[in-house]
Parts: sequence; structure tokens; C-alpha cells
Amino acid sequence: MSRPSAPKASTPPPGAPIGLIAGVVAAVIALIAVVVFLAVRDDSPTAVGSSASLPAGGGVVVNADAPQDAIEVHIFEDFQCPFCGLLENSISEQVKEAVAADEVKMTYTFMTFLDSNLGNDSSSRAANAAVCSSDEGIMLDWHSSVFEVQPSEGAGYTDETFIQAAEEAGLSGTELETFTSCMADGTYDDYVEDMATAATEAGVTSTPTVIVNGEVISPDDMNTLMEDGTTFDSVIANYGERR
Amino acid sequence: MKPLPAVLGIAARLALGGVLVAAGGIKVVDLDASVRSVVAYDLFSYPIAEFIGITLPIVEISIGLLLLVGLLIRPSAAVGAGLMVIFIAGIASAWARGLTIDCGCFGDGGPVSENQTKYAQEIARDVGLTLAGLYLFIRPRTPFALDNKLQPDRNS
Repeated sequence: MSRPSAPKASTPPPGAPIGLIAGVVAAVIALIAVVVFLAVRDDSPTAVGSSASLPAGGGVVVNADAPQDAIEVHIFEDFQCPFCGLLENSISEQVKEAVAADEVKMTYTFMTFLDSNLGNDSSSRAANAAVCSSDEGIMLDWHSSVFEVQPSEGAGYTDETFIQAAEEAGLSGTELETFTSCMADGTYDDYVEDMATAATEAGVTSTPTVIVNGEVISPDDMNTLMEDGTTFDSVIANYGERR
Repeated sequence: MKPLPAVLGIAARLALGGVLVAAGGIKVVDLDASVRSVVAYDLFSYPIAEFIGITLPIVEISIGLLLLVGLLIRPSAAVGAGLMVIFIAGIASAWARGLTIDCGCFGDGGPVSENQTKYAQEIARDVGLTLAGLYLFIRPRTPFALDNKLQPDRNS
């Protein structure tokens, strides 16, 4: 009894084992991705900031001794961001008054991602210097002086600007020397990185962002603040009542 | 191979592969920005968003390179089209929830002004790339592909 001849080309052709190749390639891609992830991901923030700084990159508090019922205002800003400059130059006087009157508890997080966009290091240097200024108790005045002379986006800050702002805020002698060396040494560079991580973790992905009593203020309210700083008290009061 | 399918296949590989390599390449040099872009969608907890932000560019570059050199075209096209569908879903959900963000498809995303969103264009682009991926999944055999060396065309 003779068997019919096998049909041609029904058997798989002798070639490379595609499935094996695909498996190896997929495994290599996954391995690279996991290795990069483990290498790049931010460790839990542990750097120590100034005495006025919250742990874990939580930001720098202006008036930690504010009363319990003070409205908590947290501003996330980048010294190189034009809209941050607009906001600061609009509301800085009102913020200073509200802090002096113990009506608000102010916290600042200085972010730095414009450095990579603009290809310089001004945001990081300014943020470090800002934390340095909080050691001398002049951060509120210092940072508004710096924003007043904000260069056009991308031009960057000089150290001279930071020192001048410190002098304007009343530093001299050994205090000024301490500030200058803190600035030059990049004493708080690690804390500045932690602030960036903590801000992203908190869901803050752009600057300026203003959080009042835990709630991000609306774009409309942000525009109002930028246009007319005298609205500061009434805008933040809205968020205070909703608590 | 007929000229038209050959041209379409090459075009689909260049489009999907090229865009994936470009998008992944821009993200991989600033992974912090990539993570921020994912966080801005407000869909995942931070650890998951961080994982996606860091690993996605590597997957994009890998799949893009495979398509460009023509290795494992069918599975690569499937993964590429799958990524595009996920991106479309993400962008659509941001649009539907009234967020005003840049898709972050090519690096630094995050909030933009209300009149600066480009959701329709972003989705249209990704639909086109999904179609390119589907076409390659159905007809993975194209000229100038390493696949042809692994499995010589037995009909020609």
C-alpha cells in the first residue's frame, strides 16, 4: 500500500527560530528598562535643608511660628519662569503684609526644571541661594528682590544679583559672608533636588502653582492674582473657608 | 513583491518607527520631564507614574529601532500600535476630564493654557500611527528588512 506523497511546503521552512529571537529581544528590552528605572528613580528624599526647611524636600517655611488658624499658602515657583515673576511682582507686598500680620503661613518650593529646558543652571543656583537666604531669615525679601530683576527667559542669573538681593534685604558683615559661601558652595543643592522630587510627587507639574489649605487655586484665580496683587487676601480667603 | 505594498510597508515602518525613536529619544535625555508628563495626566499614583515615565522611552526607542531595521516587524508593529491606542486613550481621558495639558508625547508635557491644548491633532496623529502599525501587523513582509534574512521568502 503506497502512501500519497506529502504536499509540498507544508512543513515549516528551515529558518531562524523567530519565537526564540522575539523572546530574547523582549527580555533584553525589559532588562534594560528595569535597570534604567532602578538607576534613575529618585530615592526617598533625605537631604537636609535650612532650619526653616521642611523634611523630605517639603519646601521652605517663611513663618513656622504662624498661629494655628493661619491660612496655609504654598507657592511652587521657578526663579526663571516668567509667569512666576509676574505673580511674585504682583503679590509680593500683600504676601509680606499677610505674613507680618500672621494671617498666612507661607511655604515656598523652588523648582528647577527650566534649567534643562533652557540649558543653564540658574534655577538651581537661585533655589540653593534662596534656601541659604532662609538661614539668615531674609528669604521673603530676598526672593522678591530677585524676582524684581528677573532676566528675560534664558538669560540666567549672575551670583552678583543674588548677593545684591541679600544686601538689599539687610545682610552685611559675617551674615553676608555666610550667605555668600553657602551660595557658592551649593550647600543645599541636594535639598533643591529633593524639592523637585517632592513637588512632582505631590502632582505639581508646572510653575507657578499656588496651593491654599491643600487646594490648588484655579487658573482664573491665578490670573486674578497676576493682574492685581491686592486681591491676594480675598482670593486665598475663598480657599480658607472651604476647609 | 508588488511595488505598492512594498512602498506602503516601507512608509509605515519609517513613520511608526521614526516617530517612536524620535519621541523616545527626546524623553530619554530628560527623564524627569518624562515623569512629570505622566504625572500631569493625573491617572496614576506617583510610583507608577515614575515607572512609566522612565521605562516608556526605552520601550519606544527599542520598538522604533526594530521597525526601522525591519526585525520582528509583526510583533513590533503590534506593540507599536498597542502603545498608540493607549496614548489615544490617555489623551482622550485628559480631554474628557477637562485637563489642559500637553500630551508630553515628545518630552516635556504638563499643563498649558486652555487655548493651547492640541488634543484633536495629537489624537489624529496617533490614529494615523495606529493604522501604520496595523498595516504592518497584517503585511509584515517589506523590502530592506532583517526579517527577510531570517526567513527567506519561500514564494519568490
